[in-house]
Amino acid sequence: MLELENIAKLYGDKVILRNIRCSFFAGSISLLLGKNGAGKSTLLRIMAGLSRPSAGEARYTDSAARSRGIGYLGHATFLYSGLTALENLRFWSDAWGSNRCDDDLLSVLERVGIMPYAHELAGVFSRGMAQRLNLARVLMLNPVMLLLDEPFTGLDEVSRTVLHKEVRAARARGACVVLISHDAVVDAPLADRILLLADRGLAFDGAPSAYAARACMEDAPWCA
Amino acid sequence: MVRLIAAVVRKDLTLTLLRGNGLVQALLLGLLLFFVFSLSQGVGERASPQSAATVFWLSSTFCQVLIFSQIYALEEITNARFGLLLVPAPIQAVWLGKAIAGFCLLLLAQLVFLPAAIVFLGQTVSGALLPALLALLLVDTGMCALGSLIGALAQGQGTRESLMSIVFFPLLVPLLLAGIGVCSQTLGTESPDDADIWLRLACAFDAVFFGAGLLLFGFLYSGDD
Repeated sequence: MLELENIAKLYGDKVILRNIRCSFFAGSISLLLGKNGAGKSTLLRIMAGLSRPSAGEARYTDSAARSRGIGYLGHATFLYSGLTALENLRFWSDAWGSNRCDDDLLSVLERVGIMPYAHELAGVFSRGMAQRLNLARVLMLNPVMLLLDEPFTGLDEVSRTVLHKEVRAARARGACVVLISHDAVVDAPLADRILLLADRGLAFDGAPSAYAARACMEDAPWCA
Repeated sequence: MVRLIAAVVRKDLTLTLLRGNGLVQALLLGLLLFFVFSLSQGVGERASPQSAATVFWLSSTFCQVLIFSQIYALEEITNARFGLLLVPAPIQAVWLGKAIAGFCLLLLAQLVFLPAAIVFLGQTVSGALLPALLALLLVDTGMCALGSLIGALAQGQGTRESLMSIVFFPLLVPLLLAGIGVCSQTLGTESPDDADIWLRLACAFDAVFFGAGLLLFGFLYSGDD
């Protein structure tokens, strides 16, 4: 679905990423790991088309990904604080041309557990609630490419479980999911594949079991 | 694309008129111009129609700069701009949606400026109304097409924001001259120029600004690079 060919990214003289080559496929969940500053978010933004690589190319081989849009959940919520939760979803639904009625939108809010707050302004939401609404925004669009940058930030255990369920459902309907997380112990079982960014390049690309074995050799705390 | 345009217009008007500060700042600035200009006249003195039309269009221009700064800033608070960039529709729909929303807000402001021109500057409508209405629509269209483009240029770039009006005003001069020319005739100026000439000039500049908007907006309204 998406091929990254020798991606490099520089900010001024500082090299953030270099020589990243990999492909992402429909119906899969890839977990992107790495320390702070490793370039995970930058790579995700390049994949979304929100940032241009300094060299190389991010190419969508499946035209459906472009025509049906890319679902991206980043650090910012993309929500309008002056609109209610329902109005926010209605705006994004209309903008994407997905033509959903209010009942559909309310059911999406129900899925993420904020239906009682459908008519509250998004500006008064806590971080966790705003993140859930942001999640609802992405999920209702049913994108074929789903890019999630630390989606668990600010979520409680219940919401985290809901998100795991929704990510699996997206994979089941054929979406390609790429997920950034700092909690490999909790999120690795969700993934079909793990990519590790280190030293500005791709240090590991393989199955979670292979990553676990490697982590055990390095006495990683999540080996148990 | 039409759905994205409609969604942007509805959202911007809702946020500006119902949930935000509305047009208060823009209206105050415009009205202040009328008031200050009225102080320059003696008691009972009437401003010339040309001066009144000039103050009207100057107020409209300042008001329009504030309107577009405001409606483009709506996306910057939570980076919703990136969400719009990911919508599977031509990004020019955002430019057009914001231009239409700005056009509606500018017309609302001008509904206040018009009586202000009559009250503060002692004007009476003595010429034909139709050319003035046409000029209003044509000049506003061009101002909003260009304003939406330059609003995109200024978004998220605090240091560039101050450049906006510098770039903006010279480009608007032909349109403003057309608006002033036609409106001053409606307010009673005997002008040798036919209103048709000014209206055709406004049409030509509308076309230029629309073309520029469609061509350039994609480059101005982009990701983080």
